[in-house]
Amino acid sequence: MTEAQIIETLLDFIAADSTSDDQFNALALQIFAYQFENNVPYQRFCRQREKTPRTVQNWRSIPAVPINGYKDLTLSCCDPESAERIFMTSGTTKDGVRGKCHHPSLSVYDASMITAFRQRFMQEHASLRMGILFSTEQTMPNSSLAHYLALALDKFGSDGSRYFFNDGGLDSEQLFAELERAVQTGEPYALLGASFSFVHVMDEMDRLGKTVSLPEGSRILDTGGFKGQSRELELDEFYDLLEARFGVPRGQCINMYGMTELSTEFYDWGNATCPSVKSGPHWIRSQIVNPLTGEELPKGEKGVLVHCDLAHFNCVSSILTEDAGIEVDDGFLLLGRAEGAEAKGCSMAVDEFLKAAQG
Amino acid sequence: MSLKAGYLPGLQDDDVEWQTLSYERDGPAIEVSVPLLSHRQMKALSGRIKEASQRHLKPMAVSDIAATIDTVIARLLDRSDPYREQAEEYLPKITGYDAEMVRLGLTGYLKTFRLSELNRFLAEDFVNPKILDEFQPLPKGGYGKAYGPDLLAHIWAGNVPGLPLWSLISGLLVKAGNIGKVASAEPLMASWFAELVAEINPTLGQCLAVVWWKGGDIDREQALLNQADLVVAYGNNDTLQQVRDRTPITTRCLTYSHKVSFGMISRAALDTGKAWAVAHQAAYDIVRYDQQGCYSPHLFFVEKGGAVTPQEFAQYIANELNCFEEKFPRRALSIEEAGGVAAWQQTEEMKSFSDENSTVMSDANGAWSVAYSEAEDNLAPSGLNRTAKVISVETLDDVPARISPYKAFLQTVGIAAAPEELRRLADLLGTVGVTRISALEHMTSPEAGWHHDGRFNLLDLVTMTEVERSAETAAEAFSDYVD
Repeated sequence: MTEAQIIETLLDFIAADSTSDDQFNALALQIFAYQFENNVPYQRFCRQREKTPRTVQNWRSIPAVPINGYKDLTLSCCDPESAERIFMTSGTTKDGVRGKCHHPSLSVYDASMITAFRQRFMQEHASLRMGILFSTEQTMPNSSLAHYLALALDKFGSDGSRYFFNDGGLDSEQLFAELERAVQTGEPYALLGASFSFVHVMDEMDRLGKTVSLPEGSRILDTGGFKGQSRELELDEFYDLLEARFGVPRGQCINMYGMTELSTEFYDWGNATCPSVKSGPHWIRSQIVNPLTGEELPKGEKGVLVHCDLAHFNCVSSILTEDAGIEVDDGFLLLGRAEGAEAKGCSMAVDEFLKAAQG
Repeated sequence: MSLKAGYLPGLQDDDVEWQTLSYERDGPAIEVSVPLLSHRQMKALSGRIKEASQRHLKPMAVSDIAATIDTVIARLLDRSDPYREQAEEYLPKITGYDAEMVRLGLTGYLKTFRLSELNRFLAEDFVNPKILDEFQPLPKGGYGKAYGPDLLAHIWAGNVPGLPLWSLISGLLVKAGNIGKVASAEPLMASWFAELVAEINPTLGQCLAVVWWKGGDIDREQALLNQADLVVAYGNNDTLQQVRDRTPITTRCLTYSHKVSFGMISRAALDTGKAWAVAHQAAYDIVRYDQQGCYSPHLFFVEKGGAVTPQEFAQYIANELNCFEEKFPRRALSIEEAGGVAAWQQTEEMKSFSDENSTVMSDANGAWSVAYSEAEDNLAPSGLNRTAKVISVETLDDVPARISPYKAFLQTVGIAAAPEELRRLADLLGTVGVTRISALEHMTSPEAGWHHDGRFNLLDLVTMTEVERSAETAAEAFSDYVD
């Protein structure tokens, strides 16, 4: 298959209401064959695992590249120079090297985002007035999240939707005025942004002794969690605070789980209870595996997530994350990053060493 | 099965709140009850230990204390003793380590606390150990006597069976009253030791206690820190920083942080007849307690130019690790630990795609992994749990410069080299902060009386009281017999 054919097939696949296991499997194998042929470092990776399109018959057996593979390898089927857009992982990883995902065209990425976002966040609304608590796409051209939020605003934001981040960071004065306006008009409002931006906003509200009660039908989308931030909140605490500060019930506070190394996002159906069940649209599937052996674990056992995202056609579709999870009915529970545990004795572990060595 | 940890002289079980720690590995879960003292109980316990230490321990001769410890250790070495039986049965279940490895490890470790070794321990730090019993003449003039603290607080960490005994025995030898806080990962051994001390010498049994609180329980930790005369703490840098920050300024706080150790193999050890045995020894150091100890090797610098190349040597180690997996299987890993191993392994694998001189050899089930590199890699910890890296070097003399930036983290070097190399390298390594050099196969079993992290285990615990010559001379003027 050529790139153009893959793109066309994927756009049809995404547009379909639903697809069968066999259809998913067939397209996954076609895309694997395409990546194996055109992505040389990935081919080497697969050969080392003695897996080729000839031997792999099921999407579950497609070799999954560890996400930190993006830091050492250029995993792209197209000429990296010709990519329409490059999304880069955040620079906060331990060695400062940023992984890159090349997108020859954003058509599939955008279709994937728009279709799932409509189903999972917009639900009954065609459009909503939105406030974005993140930087614009122009400020952060290599951020997949900035692009994601820009798409949300562009495709689903009604008139008056806007960003509340400027060069100086959060524009809280404008934001609070906007929230007041929403309360006055009674028009449902959507607030979207990085989890930690919400913490900043709520800290500011705490300082000012401020709460608002957004109109019924309002909703919140947060993403990213608190890893590596100066303050870590328990999920329950976080959603309790969101509900208390904005008057949006926890069940209407939706968490999006995505990553630069994917072209599709997962959502929950609100966070009335945590951890919430996450699931994705029909063009992405996940497995819970033992990180050491790659073997799939029985339902209910804690392991590490592997995602097979057909929309991520240009790089590698199957990635091994560092996120711990448990398979449940209708999706998986996301348990946060499965960090390398500290040694149980007095030996030093990698993370601790890096922290200490960097001073 | 339910067990009890902790040892609290002067307190009845009913007086104390108990919590249950549960350990579930293969087979039925084991539950261990651990005592959770209130602020008031901790203060009262501290008071009793201090008083008992002053009243009973300080007048006791060091040789009598050593004799009691020797008897306790003899009991723990006797495989028919109920305490030993418990240790053999439950320590593997709680820590997950292979039972045979625990059994052999315990015996090897406990042997370093027999009477002759305890005397060696004392002699290492005190030219004249009698200085712990009575004033002794000092070389500079005058007299001196060494006093242990009335209350030495130990904050232990980790799951390597029996490690708390080091500082506990050190404390007893200098006549300190002791309260030790056990880690949830292995709360039993120190408790059993304390019970045995009390059984054999009830008076001595009043001078030590074993307590527990959940790591991070600042309030309870503070209660003990406030009472202690001296604190010895083990753990990661963050934990230790907190302990130190909360220790009153007038109380000394000795900290033992996490360390990195490694091996060095000279080309002299790499002839075809010897290299297998050396690799076997190196693998043994990796396997023992799955690299959880500060003395466990993370990597091996291997010299080029021998009959066996560094890359072949890496294969030898991989092969030996494979054999050990049969004999002493690695303990089951938590998903976090498995993630740590996998992340390390994957990082090394990724490097091997861009560097053809790097390879990774791994067990299909993830039981062990050996990476090989010719790059100018610096010191870095492995993924632990039987993962190691072999780095080839032109000459071992290059190694000290490469590790010197990590001076604060270095501890043991296991070495296979000819005598003249050993002497030369020892000085180079000591200069950059290595505090212990051992043979391979001995990295994880330091000899009796070793200086942990280069410090003086006993000397660091005491304060000296000196009677200067002037006082002696002046006293003469007030004697009955003055002319």
